[in-house]
Amino acid sequence: MKHLRKLSYPYLVWMVLLVFVPTLLVLLLSVSDLDVFNAGPFRLTFEWIEFLGKPKVTNAVRNSIYYSFLATFFSFLIGYPVAYYLASLKTRFKTFYVTLLIIPIWSNMLLRIIAWEKLFFPISILNMFGISFDLIGTDYAILIGMVSMYLPFMVLPIYSVLEKMDRSLVDAAKDLGANDFQTFYKVIFPLSISGVVSGTIMTLLPAMTAFALPERLGAGKIQLIGNVIEDYFLKTNNINAGSLISILLMVVIVFMFIAILRFDKEGETLI
Amino acid sequence: MIDRLKKAPFIMVTAFSYFIIYFPIFVIVLLSVNASPSGQTFTEFSFVWYKEIFLNERLLTAIFNTLLVAVISTAVATVVGTLTAIGINSLTKTYRIRFMILNNVPVINPDIVTGLSLMLVFSLLPISFGMPTMLLAHIFFSIPFVVLTVLPKLKELDPNLMDAALDLGCNYFEGVVKVIIPSIKTAIIAGALIAFTMSIDDFVISYFTTGNGFQNVSIWIYSRLGRRTFSPAVYAYNTLVVFLTIGVLGYINVNNIIRVKRRSEK
Repeated sequence: MKHLRKLSYPYLVWMVLLVFVPTLLVLLLSVSDLDVFNAGPFRLTFEWIEFLGKPKVTNAVRNSIYYSFLATFFSFLIGYPVAYYLASLKTRFKTFYVTLLIIPIWSNMLLRIIAWEKLFFPISILNMFGISFDLIGTDYAILIGMVSMYLPFMVLPIYSVLEKMDRSLVDAAKDLGANDFQTFYKVIFPLSISGVVSGTIMTLLPAMTAFALPERLGAGKIQLIGNVIEDYFLKTNNINAGSLISILLMVVIVFMFIAILRFDKEGETLI
Repeated sequence: MIDRLKKAPFIMVTAFSYFIIYFPIFVIVLLSVNASPSGQTFTEFSFVWYKEIFLNERLLTAIFNTLLVAVISTAVATVVGTLTAIGINSLTKTYRIRFMILNNVPVINPDIVTGLSLMLVFSLLPISFGMPTMLLAHIFFSIPFVVLTVLPKLKELDPNLMDAALDLGCNYFEGVVKVIIPSIKTAIIAGALIAFTMSIDDFVISYFTTGNGFQNVSIWIYSRLGRRTFSPAVYAYNTLVVFLTIGVLGYINVNNIIRVKRRSEK
């Protein structure tokens, strides 16, 4: 077996090159005037810090936190019962129902966003059913869109943990006199916590960094941190300030990572 | 588990969540058979956009690019990911866990962070942005999913399997190819499927790592949002992709059910 270890070494080099090098590069770019596309001599500078105080950036940070937390909260509220129900099913269509949850992830996300966008205008294809919404640019539009996009990411990890749970524990709790509610919050929920942590993070991070979704459903009025990063990196070529802002994100990600590691060392709930 | 609780609220929440997830897909299907080019109202049932897929040259190029990148990146990611997983599986537990932490970085990282990180690294390399950079990026984000799918199956294997193969006269290469890989075949196929579907639908990472006008379908859509060059033919394309995915998954599911049945009959 030991000889097979060598098979993992090339990937290690590849990952170090593509994970650690860019992280260091982002750190360097945020405190220097290095131009990555014309690498040459550079000097250290902290002039990018002033970008953090710009209303564009502070608004984006506030919006990112606000929308991603709400979307994650609603996804959890809806997603936990769904995962619980699916895990408790005894029909042979169980895998089919779970597969149904995955298929939409494999449909183009931009088109799904456009579909919601079209529906949120007063004149839409829904008029043929006698329904009309006027939600474009509102919080509701963004939250409905986010829940619709990211709900499967909440359900699947919770489902996979509940599925593997030993059912006899539930019977044991009941035999020992616990009622349904006690069984849930003393036995079932603590056992599913690793799925809840993964699900929360897998919903929170994409929601926090979305940029096409807020741009379309927010009618261009609502900017998240993803919009600022897109703007700085790809539109206004302000990569150094963009790097500094993405460090904010990376700090959040590191904390999320530590949370996942605490509950699920080998990432078994990630897929 | 739910026997004593009332089932009805659970069924309602589940039905609601399937509805909210599937509603946009339903709308895309509806728009794909709607003759109206703006998609604001339903004018007339028509398959004109399905024909348009083959007439719109820019879209056709984007579809071709998407498939080209997906096929190559899936092939590379499946081979590399499988071999890497075999390597990881033979590490001691401490190193295995450390390795998996590294492997999971691209899985947990939001797409935009992966995208900008790769963009920065590629800008230092002597390659021009376009197809090669996008391909490398797709390989990068696909491998972790293959590893995550294959590794649990490898853990289930008897650790003596490889030694047995070696004792019976296989060399290391033969042991891996003739013994280990056939016993994890289903997981490899599942990993490849995930890699492929991730690749054809990717937008953010592709958007950050492309250049020189090389567009996949997602970038094609994004660059045409709200413009006249946007064609509803892309709804038709997406509808076809969704039904194809359902078909492939259905086929695999049915095959599995038949296999399980046959086994239980024996």
